[in-house]
Amino acid sequence: MTELKTRARAVADLVDGCIVASVELAAAPERVFQALASPEIVDWWVNPGVFDTREWSGDVRVGGQWRASGIARGEAYALEGKFLEVDPPRKLVQTWHFAGAPGTPSTVSYLLEPIDGGTRLTVRHADIAPPDRRSNVGAGWRSSFDRLSEILSPQPR
Amino acid sequence: MSRIQAKTDAFRAIADPTRRAILDRLRAGPANAGTLASDFQSSRPAVSRHLRVLREARLVMDTRIGRERVYAVNPLPLQSVAGWLEGYRAFWQASLTKLKRNLEAK
Repeated sequence: MTELKTRARAVADLVDGCIVASVELAAAPERVFQALASPEIVDWWVNPGVFDTREWSGDVRVGGQWRASGIARGEAYALEGKFLEVDPPRKLVQTWHFAGAPGTPSTVSYLLEPIDGGTRLTVRHADIAPPDRRSNVGAGWRSSFDRLSEILSPQPR
Repeated sequence: MSRIQAKTDAFRAIADPTRRAILDRLRAGPANAGTLASDFQSSRPAVSRHLRVLREARLVMDTRIGRERVYAVNPLPLQSVAGWLEGYRAFWQASLTKLKRNLEAK
């Protein structure tokens, strides 16, 4: 298979609260789809020393729930959501929310396109609501978000 | 959470689409409230309210020139917004790199 040199790239749209990331993978779309919607997630929702997804479970069909949990800088966290669109091996859309946090979930959309030698995977993470600093209820969420933001930030090089 | 903190919050200030549009407009150059009101076809009091929120969050600075108050953009507080969103960007960047490594190692 052709080696794809492209490294993963991710950009943030500040005002719309949206992240778009993409990567070219030397694997067939079917294979990539499997990695996106199976416990294989624990192998790649990982940034060594920063965050580590330990468990993932999901009922991969429209309306089905998913849940992930892990450890980030010593603190446990859990994410959950449900699948909005399941169209293997082309598209997967799911909601994404920190378990127990107030506010509305964000939406993660994966698009898989066959390319020469593999798959181009594009992720759009949209409707990321800013931490609500107005309400008292928001305070707990903010602190966990602040922590998570720290946790998820790249380590100093 | 104290009111004072809420008032200075950049997240709150940019939550409103009109305020984001005002910031975009001010990025092109300073303007007074009257000019902004006609640009946005809003009432003068509505624009003033938005400007007050932006000023409290220190996203705009006002300077008095004679009887006029001129507003200019100050992007510095947006760093907190950018820093927060950066966490998500880093998450996807790291995860996709790891996914690539895993899938191509096999």
